[in-house]
Order: sequence, then C-alpha cells, then structure tokens
Amino acid sequence: MSPSQKKRFTIIGVLIVGISIATFLALQAMQSSIEYFRTPSQIKHEGFSSEQVYRVAGLVRKGSVSRLDDGVTQRFNVTDCENDVTVQYTGILPDLFREGQAIVTLGKINQESVLVASQVLAKHDENYVPNEAADAVMLAQANKCDNADGAVTY
Amino acid sequence: MNPVSIIWKFLVTVYHRLGSPREFYQIAQYTTPIFGLLSLVLFVCGAYLGLFQAPADYQQGDSFRIIYVHVPAAWLSLFVYMVMATAAAIGIIWRMKMAFVVAICSAPLGAVFTALALITGSIWGKPIWGTWWTWDARLTSELILLFLYFGVMATYHAFEERKTAEKAMAMLAIIGVVIVPIIHYSVEWWSSLHQGATIFAEGGPRMPADMLTPLILMILSFMFFYGYALFLSAQNKVLLNERKSQWVKAAISAAEK
Repeated sequence: MSPSQKKRFTIIGVLIVGISIATFLALQAMQSSIEYFRTPSQIKHEGFSSEQVYRVAGLVRKGSVSRLDDGVTQRFNVTDCENDVTVQYTGILPDLFREGQAIVTLGKINQESVLVASQVLAKHDENYVPNEAADAVMLAQANKCDNADGAVTY
Repeated sequence: MNPVSIIWKFLVTVYHRLGSPREFYQIAQYTTPIFGLLSLVLFVCGAYLGLFQAPADYQQGDSFRIIYVHVPAAWLSLFVYMVMATAAAIGIIWRMKMAFVVAICSAPLGAVFTALALITGSIWGKPIWGTWWTWDARLTSELILLFLYFGVMATYHAFEERKTAEKAMAMLAIIGVVIVPIIHYSVEWWSSLHQGATIFAEGGPRMPADMLTPLILMILSFMFFYGYALFLSAQNKVLLNERKSQWVKAAISAAEK
C-alpha cells in the first residue's frame, strides 16, 4: 500500500471502531427500553406501578387457564417456572395459545396483581417440527416447568 | 510454486481485471447468464422441495413455508450490506472505480431484499404472533437497515459530480455497517418477539433435514440471484459512467449494426 492508501485505510479503521464504541454506549444506555418484555421474575423482584403499562412474557402455566363468568374473559398465569403473573384478557387469543406456549401480554397490573391485557401475542420459538412429532413436542412444552430447574428462557 | 500462492496469484489477477471497467464489462457478459442459470435451477429445486416435499410444521401448518422466502431475503439483506460496505471501503482506500459501481448497484438490490424480508415477516406474523408489526429489537433494526439503503441511494443521487457522490455514498455505507451485527445479535442481546436463530442455533439446526435442505437451496438461489442482478446492473452503470470512452462507443456502434 502507498502512504496515502495506508492513511485512508487507517482513517476508515478508526472511523468504524469509533462508531462501534459510540453505538455500543448508546445501546447500553437504552438497554431497558430496547428489551421487548419483562419476565414474571423481573416484575416480582423490581416491583410494579399500577399506573404503568407492562409487557410481560412467559409460558402459559399448565392448568391455569380458566374462563370468567362473563364467558368472554379468560384468565391464566404466565410463568418463567419460578414466578407467575396472572393475566386477564377479553378477546380472541392467538391460534398458538396453549399450555406451555410462550406468550407476550401487554397491559396494566391492577391492585390485585392481575395484569389486565389489551394485547396477547404468541411468541414462536426457533424450533420447526414435522406434524408426526407434534404430540410429543406439545406434551414436552406443557410439562416444561415440571422438569425445569429454576427460571427458563423463552 | 505451492498451490496457495498459485490461487492467491489467480485471485489477484481476477481482482485487477475486475477493477478495470472494460474488463469487468467483458467478464460480466459471461458470468451474468451463469449466475442467472444457477439461481434459476436452485430456485426451482428449492421451491419444489419446500412447497411439495417438506412436511408441514406441527403448529404453523403450511404457513411455515413462507420461511423459504423470508429467511433467504433477510439473510441477503445483511449479506448485500456487507458486500456494499466492503466495496465502499475498497473504493475509498484504493480509489477503485469498479468498487463504487458495485456498492451503488448493491443498494437498491439490498433494499428490495430488506423490504421482502419485512413484508413476508409481517404476513407470517399476523397468523402466528397475532400482529402485523411490533417494535421489538429485530424488527426495528431491520427497518433501520431499509432506511440506510434508501439513505445510501439518496446520498449518491444528491450530488451532480460523480466522484463526490461516490465518496459520500461510500462513507455512509461504511458508517452504517454497525447495524449488521446489531440486527444479527438483536434476538440474543435483548428480549424480542422475533425468535432466535434456527439454522445456527446452539447444538445444530432446530429443524429436520427435509425442511432445512430446501431452505439452504433457496438461500443459495437468492445469493446467485443477487450476483446475477448485480452483474446486470453494474454492466449498465459501467456503460453509463464510461460513455465517453472509445470502447463503449465502439461497443454501442457494434450493437447498433
């Protein structure tokens, strides 16, 4: 490389390093707002304000799904297998909703510690499985917390 | 001479020949149809296996098959950016005309792949997640990538003088490269609605081979398509940039006969 090429090479190298550091620091500062959701354990440990809207994600706790007397409101627990948040939702649940499925709920948590959701989304995982294996996978998902040792990720 | 130095010499020769607009134009006349044909063959095989041979997913049913467009498009949206930024850096450091041509011709192609990834993801998201769009880290960073491509194109067209335009466009392309690792690792660094990596998941792909094979074929097909489209559009750009040179005038008059 000629001296001028070397100089331009260095400038570009320094530029990329500098911008990477700046971006890293900016992202660090924004860490909590970039997080898409909180886990039930985070809600428990960090506490919550009933004024604020939270996005809480977790697995649908096995055996927790029930329908309230009005016939259209469902209540269920989302869990990371350590802590639970009770969620109440009036509306149509996503097709993937079932026990053991990871879901994301959005809403305020009321005085009774129930998250009154305005939106419930299914969080699809990275696993793709052919139909034949469906029953085994769904059973394993529903029982995930029984076999879990501490909080699970999803 | 050992084989490594022979290959190295060959690559250096190819690099120098591709660096000359005239030689690039001539080489591209042969490589364009080869890339196009490879892309087509891989596409037909991948689409057939993906649509007719791969089993349906246990919970998504047939709607999972959109992965055969979505993942290749998303993959290419990052790959094209890396090619564009590398070409831009080569152009700036070695003042190589053809590198700028490769960079600017890559921008609209990358934008199309990015848009395709966003659109197919949205179509998939509605039935599976329950929403068309959400502001999670992966979706948001991919949208920023689309605007970066638009920015690179706009910067290039904002200058009358070509050399200024090339340098400005290249600098933006280089600066924007930080978005690539952010998009790639967004699903690991932060919680998101978008799932983690399937193909490069820890402990191997989270997908059986009969679903994975068509996906790999489609990714390869998309890569060759990018090469095909890049050669075509770069040839066009070379003719425009070099329109005052003798060889272009000669090529045009030969074509007119």
